[in-house]
Amino acid sequence: MAKLQVRGARKAYGATIALKRGDMVLESGEVHVLIGSNGSGKSTLCKIISGSVRPDAGEVIIDGRPVTVTGPQMARELGIGIFYQELSLAAHRTVAENISLARLPANAGVFVDHAAVGATAERYMAPFADVLGDGFAADTPVVKLRADQRQLVEIMKTLATEAPVLIFDEPTSALDSAQVERFFDVLRKLRGEGRSIIFISHRMDEIFAIGDRVTIMRDGETVTTMALSDADHDMVIRAMVGGQEALIATGNADDEGTRRTGKTILSVQNISGPGFSEISFSVAAGEIVGFGGLHGQGQSSVLRALFGASRRQAGTITLNGTPYTATAPRAAIRQGMAYISGDRGHDGVITDRPILENVTPVHFLRNRLTFAFPGRLRAAVLPALQALRTKYATLSHPISSLSGGNQQKIVIARWLTDPPQVLLLDDPTKGIDLATKTELFALIRELAEKGMAIILYSSEDSELLTNADRILVFSGGAIARELTGADRTRYNLYHAAYEAA
Amino acid sequence: MSGLVAQPGAGAHTGIGRIFERFPFLPAFVILIALLVLNGLFEPNSLSFGALTGLVSTYLALMLLAVAQTYVVYAADIDLSVGAILSLVNVSIIVLMQLMGGSALSVLVACFAGIGIGLACGIFNGIIVAGLRLQPIVATFATSIIFTGIALYIMPVSGIPAPSVYWRTYGGRLFDVPFVIYLAVAVAVILYVIARTRLITQLLAVGDNQQSAYQSGLPVTMTRIRGYALCGVFAALAALCITGDTASGDPLVGGAMTLNSVAAVVLGGTALSGGVGSVAGSVIGALIIGLVNSLVFFVGTPSEWQNLVQGLAILVALTVGILVSRRAGQ
Repeated sequence: MAKLQVRGARKAYGATIALKRGDMVLESGEVHVLIGSNGSGKSTLCKIISGSVRPDAGEVIIDGRPVTVTGPQMARELGIGIFYQELSLAAHRTVAENISLARLPANAGVFVDHAAVGATAERYMAPFADVLGDGFAADTPVVKLRADQRQLVEIMKTLATEAPVLIFDEPTSALDSAQVERFFDVLRKLRGEGRSIIFISHRMDEIFAIGDRVTIMRDGETVTTMALSDADHDMVIRAMVGGQEALIATGNADDEGTRRTGKTILSVQNISGPGFSEISFSVAAGEIVGFGGLHGQGQSSVLRALFGASRRQAGTITLNGTPYTATAPRAAIRQGMAYISGDRGHDGVITDRPILENVTPVHFLRNRLTFAFPGRLRAAVLPALQALRTKYATLSHPISSLSGGNQQKIVIARWLTDPPQVLLLDDPTKGIDLATKTELFALIRELAEKGMAIILYSSEDSELLTNADRILVFSGGAIARELTGADRTRYNLYHAAYEAA
Repeated sequence: MSGLVAQPGAGAHTGIGRIFERFPFLPAFVILIALLVLNGLFEPNSLSFGALTGLVSTYLALMLLAVAQTYVVYAADIDLSVGAILSLVNVSIIVLMQLMGGSALSVLVACFAGIGIGLACGIFNGIIVAGLRLQPIVATFATSIIFTGIALYIMPVSGIPAPSVYWRTYGGRLFDVPFVIYLAVAVAVILYVIARTRLITQLLAVGDNQQSAYQSGLPVTMTRIRGYALCGVFAALAALCITGDTASGDPLVGGAMTLNSVAAVVLGGTALSGGVGSVAGSVIGALIIGLVNSLVFFVGTPSEWQNLVQGLAILVALTVGILVSRRAGQ
C-alpha cells in the first residue's frame, strides 16, 4: 500500500487554473522527485499535501485513509514535515530554538527545557558538522547566518519533525556541493529507514543522484511517473517541456573563448571590502564574465559593492574610462549599473504592489520622473515585458500573483526599459525552472551581443560553464584562478574552488 | 584564508557586540545611570534610599504597564488599551473594597478580582485582534474606549478613597524594609520565571515572522491571544500598584500612561516590529521616563516649559540609545 497518494487534485484561483489534475503515488522508503517548470502545478500540489491550500476536487490518501489537511498543524499531526523554499525561520531566535520551534520541549509543560533544545540541535547538526561553515553554532541567532547556513537550519528543522513523509521544496538552492552531499547522505539513511521523501529541485545532477522515481508535471497536470534508473536527462527534459524542444538549448557561451569583444567597459583595480580583498578584473562590452567557486567566497559581496549596496574600502573602479565612485545604489543606477539578485523576496520584488509599480522604479529614477501617468508607463515597459515573454493577467495585478520565474522576469524587465551599461547578476536563476532559465540565458547573451558588459555569479557550475566567456574562481574573498577558453571545464572549476578552500 | 570569507551580518562578533547581543537593554541601562547621576547633581537628596524607594513606589505601576506592553510587542502586536484596563481595574477594586467593608480580607478578594478583570480584558483584546484579525492599533484603541466607558459607569467621578489598610500596606514597611521593595523583588522573580516559559519563545517567534511561525506549525492565533491575556494581567497588577500609590479611584488615571508604556518599551530596546526585546529593558525604560520627569523638576524648569523639556529629554534618550546600539552593532 502506498504511503501517500494524491488523486485528481484540482485547484483554481478565479479564472486561473493552478492545478488541473494532480496525481502522485508516494511509496515508503523512496525519494520521489517532483519536477516541472514554474507554473506547472508542482508547488500547488505540495501545498495541497501540506494543507496550506484546500483543493477544489480530488483527494489525499495517507496509509489508505482519505484525509483533509486543514493546515500546517494538522499536516504535522498526520506525519508530514515540510521544507519551505522561502524558509520558515524566526530570524532572531537561535539555531537550536528554530530547530525545535514547533515542539519546544518543556519542563512541567511550561518552561522551555534548554538542555533538551540544545541536545536536539546537536543531534541534527551532527551529520553536517564539517560543512556548517564559520560562525554556525546551536546558540547563534539565525539572522547572523549566511544564506546557505540558513537553508541548512531549515533542513534540520524539517528533519526534526521526524515525520514519516518529508517534503523538500528546493532544499539545495543555496548549498554548495559538499553541503548537498551531506544532505543526500542523510536522505539515503532516512530512505533506508523506510521514510517517504518528496524532493523538488531544478538541478538535473541532483535529481539523478538522489531520486528513485520522478513524477513530471506540465501545465497543471501530472504527465508521467518513471523510475530514474530507466531515464536520462534528455528524457526528463523532453517530458517536462513537451513539444517545445527548441528550448533544450545547450550552452550558448563561446566554445573557443575567442569571441570578439569590444572596448573595456568596467575596470576594477585592487578593490577590498567586507568579505573580499585585492580584487582586480575588467569586463569588455559584449562579454559575460562568470564568478565561480564555493558559496560565500566573496562573489556576492563584490557585486553588491560594485552596485554601491555595501561599502568598499580601497581600490579604484573605472566605468567607460571615467572613475566610478557610487556609494549608494541610486548613484550606481544613474551611472548605468544594474543589479539582479536571485533573492527576489529580499532584493527584487516589492511585495503586494502591482506589477506596473514593480517594473517602473528604475525607469523613474533614470528619467527623473516626478509624476506617474499609468498610460505612459505602460507603454514604456511593454516592450521589455514582451521581449521576456512574461505571463501576467494585467499590469495592475499584484506581483505575488505570478510564479517565481515570472516574478524574476518582472525584476529583469525593470532594468531593460532603460538598458544599463553593466549588468550584475547575483545568482539570478535561484528557484527558476529549466525552461525559463534557458530563456533567460538566451536573453542575457543577446544583451551582451548588443554591447552590454555582464557579470554573472551562479551557484550552479553548469550555468557558468555554458554561459560565461571567462570564469573568475573565487576563494576566501580573492580570485584564485581565471579560466578561459578550453580551460573552462567542470574539473578545472572544482579544482580551483576546492584547492584554495 | 578562511578569515577573509564573507560573513554578511556577522559584523557584531567583537566583544562589545556580543555583550550588546546578550543584553539588548544595555544602552538603556547606560542612560539610566547617566540620569541617576544628573539627578544626584541637581538634587543630592534624590539618591538617598528613601527617595529611590519613593521613585520605585511611584513608577512601579508604569514599570508593570511597560512589561504588559512588552509581551504583546514581542509578537509584533500592540495594546493601546493597557491604560484603560488599568483604570478599569483601579475603580473596580476600589468599589469592591468599599462594598465589602474595607477589611483586610476584602482587600485580598478585590485584588484577585482585579487581576481577573485584567485577564478578561486581555482575552477580549486577544480575541478581537488575533481571532477576528483586526488591526491591533485601531482595535485596541476601540477597546480602550469601551473599557474607559465601563470604568466611568462604575465610578463616574474620581475621588473615592481606598481603604486605609490598602495604601498603608503599600506605602508602609515590613521588618523595617519598605513594602514596595518586597514587591519589586517579587516582580523581578516573576518576570525571570515568565521569561523562561515556552509562551515567551512562541510570542517572539510569532513576532519575528508570523507566516513562518504558522508554517512551522505554531498555534499563532492562540499564542497571540495568550500574549494579550498576559498583558491584561500585568496591566491589572499595575493597577494594584497605582491604587496603592494614589490611594483613590480615578476612572481616567491610566489614560496618559498607555503611550508612556509604549515609549518605555522602545527605550528599553524592544523592537515594535516584534521578535526581539526584553522585559528588563522595559522596566529600565519606565524608570528613565520617571527620572526624566524628576530631573526636569529638580533642574527647576518653569512649569509652563516642563512638558516641552520632558518631550525633548525622551527624544534625546531614544537617540542616544539607538546611536549606542548602532555603534556596538558595527
